[in-house]
Amino acid sequence: MAKDFLPSFEWHRVMVEPWSADAFQNNLWIFLMGFLVATACGLVGNYLILRRMSLIGDAISHSILPGIAIAFLVSGSRGTVPMFAGALLAGVATTVIIEVIHKKSRIKQDSAIGIAFTTLFAIGVILISLYASKIDLDQECVLYGEIGFVGLHPPVQLWGMNLGPLPVFRMAVVTVITAAAIMLFYKELLVSSFDPGLAFTLGINATVVHYCLMGWLSTVVVNAFESVGAVLVIAMLILPGAIASMLTLQLPRILMLTVVIAAMSSFFGIHLATWLNCSTAAAMVVVASGLFILAWLFSPTSGLVFKKLRHRSDSVPEFPETATDVLNPQPGK
Amino acid sequence: MSKRSYKFALSLLFLACMAQEPLFAARIGELTETDWKIQVIRFLSFRDPSVRYALAGSILLGISCGLLGSFIVVRKMALVGDALSHAVLPGVALGFLWNTTKDPVAIFIGATVAGLLGTTVVNLITQTTRLKEDTALGMVLAGFFSVGICLVTMIQHLPTGNKSGIDKFLFGQAAALGPNDIQLMGIVTLLAITVITLFYKEFLVSSFDSGFAHSIRIPVQLFHHLLMLLLAFAVVISLQAVGVVLVSAMLITPAAAAYLLTDRMHRMVFLASIFGLLSGVFGAFFSFLGPSLPTGPFMVLGASLVFTLCFFFAPKHGLVTRWWVKRSRSQQIQVENVLKAIYHVLEDRGFDGEGVSIRELADQRKQTLEESVRESKMLKRAEYATLLEEGNMIWLTPEGWQRAREMVRNHRLWELYLTSAAQYSADHVHDDAEKIEHILGDEVVRALEKRLDYATTDPHGKKIPSSESIQKDRMGRREKVPGYGQDI
Amino acid sequence: MNTEKEPVPLEVHDLTVAYQKKAVLWGIDLVVPKGKLIGIVGPNGAGKSTLIKTIMGIIPASSGWVKIFGEEKNLRRVGYVPQRESVDWDFPVSVMDVVLMGRYGKLGLFKRPGKADVDIARQCLDKVKMLPYANRQISNLSGGQQQRVFLARALAQESDLYFMDEPFSGVDASTEAAIITLLHDLKEKGKTLMVVHHDLPTARNYFDMLLLLNMRVVAFGPTDEVFNYELLQKTYGGRLTILAEVAEAVRQKS
Repeated sequence: MAKDFLPSFEWHRVMVEPWSADAFQNNLWIFLMGFLVATACGLVGNYLILRRMSLIGDAISHSILPGIAIAFLVSGSRGTVPMFAGALLAGVATTVIIEVIHKKSRIKQDSAIGIAFTTLFAIGVILISLYASKIDLDQECVLYGEIGFVGLHPPVQLWGMNLGPLPVFRMAVVTVITAAAIMLFYKELLVSSFDPGLAFTLGINATVVHYCLMGWLSTVVVNAFESVGAVLVIAMLILPGAIASMLTLQLPRILMLTVVIAAMSSFFGIHLATWLNCSTAAAMVVVASGLFILAWLFSPTSGLVFKKLRHRSDSVPEFPETATDVLNPQPGK
Repeated sequence: MSKRSYKFALSLLFLACMAQEPLFAARIGELTETDWKIQVIRFLSFRDPSVRYALAGSILLGISCGLLGSFIVVRKMALVGDALSHAVLPGVALGFLWNTTKDPVAIFIGATVAGLLGTTVVNLITQTTRLKEDTALGMVLAGFFSVGICLVTMIQHLPTGNKSGIDKFLFGQAAALGPNDIQLMGIVTLLAITVITLFYKEFLVSSFDSGFAHSIRIPVQLFHHLLMLLLAFAVVISLQAVGVVLVSAMLITPAAAAYLLTDRMHRMVFLASIFGLLSGVFGAFFSFLGPSLPTGPFMVLGASLVFTLCFFFAPKHGLVTRWWVKRSRSQQIQVENVLKAIYHVLEDRGFDGEGVSIRELADQRKQTLEESVRESKMLKRAEYATLLEEGNMIWLTPEGWQRAREMVRNHRLWELYLTSAAQYSADHVHDDAEKIEHILGDEVVRALEKRLDYATTDPHGKKIPSSESIQKDRMGRREKVPGYGQDI
Repeated sequence: MNTEKEPVPLEVHDLTVAYQKKAVLWGIDLVVPKGKLIGIVGPNGAGKSTLIKTIMGIIPASSGWVKIFGEEKNLRRVGYVPQRESVDWDFPVSVMDVVLMGRYGKLGLFKRPGKADVDIARQCLDKVKMLPYANRQISNLSGGQQQRVFLARALAQESDLYFMDEPFSGVDASTEAAIITLLHDLKEKGKTLMVVHHDLPTARNYFDMLLLLNMRVVAFGPTDEVFNYELLQKTYGGRLTILAEVAEAVRQKS
C-alpha cells in the first residue's frame, strides 16, 4: 500500500501543467496569495523572533479563531469588517488574559500563554462545531486553510479594472501596509526590540509598540487564516525570518530575503502540492522547511557544511584576551 | 506515599476491567442523529461498551497528562509540550499508512519516533545556530505539523482515505477508542506512575535546582530525557481522544490549576492527575451529546474551568481570596484605630464617664459625623461596643475595652522602644507605631516590656497601659475600670 | 595512626573552558590545601562561577583535569551552594524539603529520606536558625533566609569540600555575620571551603586564602600575601577606584 501512496513525479504534470492556459489564472492567484501571506507574516515575524516572542505569535494565531467564529455568528457574513473586529478583539483579549494570569498569580508566562490560547481555540472549535450551519468554516479548514479556492472568490472591481479576488486584494493591501509601516517605523521597532530602556529615554513607549505589534499581528493573521489556517500561519511567521537570519546578519537584508523566501516557498509549494495531491498551504510550509534545512547546512556564514570544511572546531579556542584587555585595549598588546 | 499507591491501584483496576471486554463494540462514529437526552442516559448507564472505553481512556490520559504536566509547568517547558504534541502528526500519518486498518501500535511507534525526532532537531538547532530555543521550537512545531498535514491530506485523497479515521486525530474523538487503545493507554499510564514514583526525588531535585542535582551525582540529562520520553508517550496515547492540536492543554492546564492550590510538589502532582481525570471525563461526556462533536475541545474547556475556579478562589493564592483577605485585614485595622481613638477621648477627660459620643469620636478622628456613625456600626458588628441613645453614644464592651488598651499599649511601647533603643527622635515615631501596633504579637510585646524595664510612660508622657492589668481584666476580675461599658 | 597522606581536597591542572571559540577559563592550575577558607574574587565575567561549576562537572571542560581527593569525577564528598538566582523560588517545596535534598546524595537511587535524615535536616536548620520556618514554602522568605536555607542544605550534605557561589550577595548584615561564623566553624572541623565572593573589602577579612581570577589565575595564596595593589590591579584592570583606597589602607597598615 505504501508503494501506491506516493504519486509518481512526472515533469509535465507537476511542473508545467500548473502554468498552462486553463490552470494559469487560478494558480496565479494561489501563488500570489501564498506569496503575500508569507511576506506579510514573515516581515512581522522577524520582530517576533527578535523579541523572543515566537510563542506569543503561536498563541495569537490560534486564539483569533473564536473571534472569527463570533464575528460570523453576530454579523451572519464573512464580511471584512466583522472579521477584522473579531480578530482584533480576540488578539487583545488573549494578550490581556495572558498578562492577568501571569502577573496576578505565580503561574509563569509560558504556562499562561499555553492556557490562554488553548482555551480560546477550544472555544472557537466548539462554536464552529455547534453552529456548523451558521459558520462557514469547517474544522480542517481552520487548521490548514483552503488556499486552493482563493481564485474562486469574486473579484474586486475598481475603476473598471479587475484587481483580483477579494482575499488576494485584501492581503495585498495588508502586505503593502506592513512593508510601509516597517520602513516608516524602522527605528522605533528596532530600538524597542533590542533595548526597551533606551527606547524609553528616546521617548518611545515600548508598551505601545508591543500592543500595536500584537494588534497588527492579529490583523495579518486573520487575513492569512482563511488561506493557510491556524497552525501554518505560525510557520509563515517564523520560518522565512529564521532562514534569512542564517544567511545574513544585517536586518535590512534579512527583511528583503524574507520576501524572496516567501516567493520561493509559495512557488515551489504549488508544484509540491500538485505532485503529492495534498494541501497546498502545507506544501508551501514543507518547502520553506526544506529551505531552512538547506540554509542550515549550506549557509556561507553559519552552515554546518562550511563550518566543517573550514576545520574550525569549538574545542580549540584562540588565546584569550582577559576581560581587562577587552575593557582597556592597549595598542601593541 | 499512600496517595501514589492509591493511583497505582486505581490504574490496575481499570486495566483489569478493560482486559476482559469482548473485542467487538459499537462505535459511535456510525451513529446517526440522536436526541441528546437519550445520549445522556446512554452515557450514564455505562451499558455501552464504547462509553466504557471512552471513559476509561479519558481517565487514563487525564492521569498521565496531569502527572507529567506537573513537571512541565514547574520546569517552564510549556512550549516544549506544545511543540512535541504538534510534531507527532507525521508519525501518526505514517502509522496509519503502515496497515490498512487502524493499528494502535504502529501509530504509537510512529508518533513517538516523530516526537523524539522533533525534540532532537530542536536541540540541534539551538546548539549549532544562533537561533534561540523559542524560535527553534516554533519552527519544529510548524514544520513537522505541516509535513503531517501534507500526509493527512494525501491519505484523505486516497480511495480508502475517508474511512481511515485519521481526521479524528486532529481534534480527538474519545468514542473512537477501542480495547487495544485502552490497553496501550493503561500500560503507558502505569509506566508513568511507576517511573515517577520510583525516581520522585531525582525528578524533584533536578527540576528545582539542576546545578545542585549535578553536584550530588544525579544524572540530570538522563532524567531530562526520561521525562521527555514519558511525555512523548503521554502525548501519543492522548492523541486519539484529545487531538493533536489540543493535547498540550491537557498537559499544562490541570497542572497549572494544581500549582495554585498547594505549596508542596507531591500534592501538586496528585491534584493535577485528579484534575486531568475530571477534565477527561467532562470532555468525554459533553462530546458524547452530539453526533459529531470532537472530544478535545470539551476536555480543554473542562480543564480551563477548573483552572479558572482555582485562579480566583484557591485558598491561598486565588485572586478573590487574596482580595478578600486584604479587605478584611484593612477593615480590622480600621476597627482597631477607632478603638484607640475612643480610648484617647476617654483618657483626655481623665476617664470620667463611660460613654463617648459620635461627635467626640468625629473630632478625635478628624472626620465627618457620617463616617463616625459608620465606624461605630463597625464596632458594634465586631462586638466591641454597644450603641445607646439612638446610636449617638458609644459604650465599649469588655472585649472592646481590652482591645483598645492593647492597641494603645502596643503603640506607646513601640514609640518608647524606637526612641530609647533605636534612637529615633520623638517626633518621628508616631507613623511607624501606627503601622506596627496592629501586628505586634503577645510574645513580642512581652519581650518589649521586659526590654524597656516595664516602663509606664511613653515618649510623649502618656501612660502605657500595662499588660498585667489587661490580663487581669481578661481573667474576669472586674475592678471598677472607667469606660468599661455596660455590665451585662 | 594513619600514616598515608590523604590527597589534597582539590587539584586542578590546565583547566580550560571555551564557549563557541571564546575562552572563559584558560589554563587554570590549582592545588588547594585542606582546612582552608578560600575566597575567589575577580571582575564580572572573570569566570568565577564557571570555575566551580566546571570543577564539579556541571559545565564540561575543553581540556585539563580535576582531581577531588585524588580522584577524577569524584563528587562523593563535595557540597554545593549555588547562587540564589539560579532557582525558581515559587517552586512548590517547603524549607524542610529543600534541606532534605542535601541528604539525597547519601540515599542513592531508590531510597527515601527516613527519620534519621529528617533529624539531621532539623539540626542543620537549627544551626542556621531557620527551624521555625521548616514547613514554610520557600517563596515566603527574605533573601537572607533563603541563603540560610541553602546553607542548611549544604550542611546536611556532611561534605568535606564545599563550593559556594556568592553566598553573601544580597543578604542582611546579621545573616552575613551568621554565615561567616558558620564557615569558620566548618573550617575548624577540617572542611575545605571555596567561596565565590563579590566584595573585595570584606574578602580581605573573611578568607585565609584568596584566588584572584580573571580567566586565568592571577594569584593564589594566603590573603596577606596576595591582597596587594599590584596583583589587584592586574586582576581588575583599570577599574580600581575604590580598590585603590582599600589597597592604600592595606599598605598603610603594613
